[in-house]
Amino acid sequence: MSSHIARVVRHSIVRSAVLYSALIAMAWCALFPILWGLSGSLKSQAEISAPNLLPTRPQWSNYADVFALMPFGRMFVNTVLYAGCVTAGQVFFCSLAGYAFARLEFRGRETSFVLYLATLMVPLTVTVIPQFILMRTFGWTDTPWAMIVPGLFGTAFGTYLMRQFFRTLPTDLEKAAIIDGCSPWQIYWKILLPHTKPAVMVLAVLTWVSVWNDFLWPLVMIQRDSIATLNLGLVRLGGQYVADWPVLMAASMLILLPLVVIYVVAQRAFVSGIVLTGFGGR
Amino acid sequence: MFVAPNLAAVAVFMLFPLGFSLYMSFQKWDLFTPPEFVGLANFKQLFTADPLFPIALRNTVIFTIGTLVPTLLISLIVAAALNRKLKGISIFRTAIFLPLAVSAVVMAVVWQFLFNTNNGLLNIMLGWIGLGPVPWLIDPNWAMVSLCLVSAWKSVPFATVVLLAAMQGVPETLYQAAKIDGAGAVRRLFFITLPLIRGAVSFVVVISIINAFQAFDQVYVLTGGHGGPETGTYVLGIMLFQHAFAFLEFGYASALAWVMFAILVVLTAVQLRLARRNALEY
Repeated sequence: MSSHIARVVRHSIVRSAVLYSALIAMAWCALFPILWGLSGSLKSQAEISAPNLLPTRPQWSNYADVFALMPFGRMFVNTVLYAGCVTAGQVFFCSLAGYAFARLEFRGRETSFVLYLATLMVPLTVTVIPQFILMRTFGWTDTPWAMIVPGLFGTAFGTYLMRQFFRTLPTDLEKAAIIDGCSPWQIYWKILLPHTKPAVMVLAVLTWVSVWNDFLWPLVMIQRDSIATLNLGLVRLGGQYVADWPVLMAASMLILLPLVVIYVVAQRAFVSGIVLTGFGGR
Repeated sequence: MFVAPNLAAVAVFMLFPLGFSLYMSFQKWDLFTPPEFVGLANFKQLFTADPLFPIALRNTVIFTIGTLVPTLLISLIVAAALNRKLKGISIFRTAIFLPLAVSAVVMAVVWQFLFNTNNGLLNIMLGWIGLGPVPWLIDPNWAMVSLCLVSAWKSVPFATVVLLAAMQGVPETLYQAAKIDGAGAVRRLFFITLPLIRGAVSFVVVISIINAFQAFDQVYVLTGGHGGPETGTYVLGIMLFQHAFAFLEFGYASALAWVMFAILVVLTAVQLRLARRNALEY
């Protein structure tokens, strides 16, 4: 009997050892390119082609070089500004419309919601050219407006997300307020919105990350370095200083760092947003 | 009232561009001279006279398959490994999902560093086991392999998140019953998990196809913006960008965009129909 228990225990130890090794290998594959970039960002030009992961003497000056070779600080501020404005607009307008679609009665509510959702199927490929021409007609090419306004007033995906969440809130919440004669706006702003924090978090994180990581739109819209985004700056830096790997890796790590922080802090919102929307498949 | 900003924005930035794009696809227009109606000439040129269109289409199909198949296989294994109640499993999840936060641009720059032919890490490591340097980004065929590798690395975490969420919904009792019947881990994966998460698999397939078909960011950065070397990574996304924003052939580019849209609609419809026909009820 005791030998049987010992065999079962041994068996399960071996099994979990195998499983842990597999998990470590998987995590290593996922993280390695980033770690190798981090390592490259701290190496000297002489050491850059050596296969050691830990630099012999960390060259922090590579990071200073990034600021010298490109207007990194300026581009950082620009990117934060664009991401901040679009995120604030998304959260406000999507939650407002989501509330209306979930709780208010108005004519054509279901039809307009379905039509609105249908716009999710239109690929970026089709809209990017006419949107470019639209921006040009407004005289907004190469201005911050082109980066902010198109995303400001909400998207179908965000509205859908908020509507679904509003529908899960109990109607008891606003019943008393309706009896007290509160307007729909007061009900939305004072009573329901404070309860939607989890959904707002998901929407805010996904919006922030997608603006931060966007490339095609800034590439098409923006020429001037003074209003460029970080991704645009990185690609231009790569074009000017071909194979200056330490500096390119340092710039990459600086762009990546804020997102890794957001990811680690808001992982739950990030992951549930992906499950809901398929965002991030690119 | 509350939905007005969203609906107005959709009309201006989505519906109008959609219609305008369709209108443009029948025009010849370079922005500087007035548009000229040419009927179906753009489509005719695309299908019969442009030698690069079949190449772009072929490359896109290869890229889509070369990204989708490895992504699906790897993410199934990774999700199955992460779907265990083990000590510290959340740390592994955090690590393995981290590439979700990385932008396609930063990722492509970091991978360029790994792929570097003369002194990149991949070739150094191949050298250790006696294999000659691989011209990763220099040879047209290898460039496509590199592109698929990078894209798979980026999309595995996304697919894993979706598949893992679905696997967590499979009732534990089914596994216990199968265990009693003597089914091993592999058979449980194939005969219980897979049939029950079919919806999630099909979601991953549809999203991956949509994204791969329109891939642009990582291709542009990884191989220098022209779909090179030669036409090795000349995919539809690059072709569209070049015709629209380098050659200013907005009519022709719009026609291409609508052809891509049509292909995507057909592929998605076929996939959804297949998924429905195979759907199993337990």
